[in-house]
Amino acid sequence: MCLAAASIPARHNAHVDVHPLRTGIALALLLSAAFAVMTVGGLSYRREMLIAAARAFVQLIVVALVIAWIFTHPQGAFLYLGLMLIVAAYTSNRRIGGDNRDRIGVLLAIFLGAAATTTIVAVTGALEFSAQTLLPFAAQMIGGAMTTASLAGVRLRDDVHDQLTTFEGYVALGATYQQAGREFAKRASEKSLFPTLDQTKSAGLVTLPGAFVGMLLGGASPLAAAQVQLLVLIGLVLVQAITALVTTRLISPLPPDLGHSIAVTEAVA
Amino acid sequence: MNDVFVLDHVSVSYGATTALRDVSMAIPRGGITSLIGPSGCGKSTLLRTLNRLNDLIAGARLEGSVRFDGADIHAPDTDLVDLRRRVGMVFQKPNPFPKSVFDNVAYGPRLHGSTAMLDELVERSLVRAGLWEEVRDDLTKPATTLSGGQQQRLVIARCLAVEPEVILMDEPTASLDPVATATIEELTRDLSADYTIVLVTHDLRQAARISDRTAFFAAHAHDDDSRHGELVEYGPTEELFNEPSDERTRQYVMGDRG
Repeated sequence: MCLAAASIPARHNAHVDVHPLRTGIALALLLSAAFAVMTVGGLSYRREMLIAAARAFVQLIVVALVIAWIFTHPQGAFLYLGLMLIVAAYTSNRRIGGDNRDRIGVLLAIFLGAAATTTIVAVTGALEFSAQTLLPFAAQMIGGAMTTASLAGVRLRDDVHDQLTTFEGYVALGATYQQAGREFAKRASEKSLFPTLDQTKSAGLVTLPGAFVGMLLGGASPLAAAQVQLLVLIGLVLVQAITALVTTRLISPLPPDLGHSIAVTEAVA
Repeated sequence: MNDVFVLDHVSVSYGATTALRDVSMAIPRGGITSLIGPSGCGKSTLLRTLNRLNDLIAGARLEGSVRFDGADIHAPDTDLVDLRRRVGMVFQKPNPFPKSVFDNVAYGPRLHGSTAMLDELVERSLVRAGLWEEVRDDLTKPATTLSGGQQQRLVIARCLAVEPEVILMDEPTASLDPVATATIEELTRDLSADYTIVLVTHDLRQAARISDRTAFFAAHAHDDDSRHGELVEYGPTEELFNEPSDERTRQYVMGDRG
């Protein structure tokens, strides 16, 4: 972890030339075209589209500056990843509708998944041990873990909500909510893995995944791009398996709006 | 102690809605106690307070006290796992777990760590619930492939396997055909020799047929369209059906016969 900035070698023989002015012109044209198409097609959300674009612009510039700084101050990577972890846990937990305690579970689930995967990739030397490689890799794993935590958590609570009498059956026999929730956790975890499994199966056929495209644009050889993409895809499978299982076991399986539906049923039945 | 449950001025509300107001009654040990009344009278709510299943509901609040075997079940040191082991529950809609017949019945004993002689316990429970002969050939069969009536008997066997003292039944025949209903009624009557049974039912004739005591609940409407359930009358079944002391009870039980 004590890589001096100066010792970081250039990874790519080729590098991509970016011209800020031309990029600006292209972006303006893309954005105008999108706006025009939406207008002609009578689609709503034009304002949202512009806001999203503006947000992406600002966020990516800031992130670029931050990452550039981290590349010369590798210790900063921990700070960056730590912050990312907290934001991911917060975002995912809000999607699930969890409370403060659930958020800690989600945070732990995302951390365990991303940490396990990144450790394997780093220890085997599959990716060079440097901030340049491990930071984006870990960041992508945290992102994948966040999506999985949301999917698995929402799924778990939806399933419990839809099969409440079954859940109550477990509880009525003396199971704690956590024990009863475990009976639903497996199915919810499996379902949260489908998107990644599909993406992995169809990699290169239906879409060119992000890391692959990025490396090609950056001037890497297609074979090198394929290797990194494989690390990302298979890494995501591990991340998501861990994160889904841990999330569904640590969060409360009870949907927060449960009271409402039963109270209404009883009052109206 | 002769009374299993003693309810003292119990009111239950869900958020701003009062489901049940000021119920005081004692449920004696053994036999069948029926809770009857129109929809929305709070009888299911009352049943769900006896094993604290209403705890699941955010915003559910209880006032008054419920004593089980003399102990306040809302006391801070109450062991909920133990309470629910001793007070089993059978639901309106059969709710077999998505597991085999065997694993359904074995779930409770495994949960409570009593897995010695598990095969015998599962068999004994299935025999007692009158389902053994129908499932003995293939206990690995998914429980969801059983008929509705069989599923309900499986749920009863599952409940018996943890050796409860009380069985709460929430309209256990509401979703069954007449033949399956008769089977469950006969079984319930039979079980009442060994277990205290509290039965919620929509079916007045069912209460009259099988229960020893009946409690009649009514929904009390307020001016603002809200309503709450309350206990109107409680006593031996024959008395309540033949010589009700409250006019509301009389109308309700006579209405059904007319």
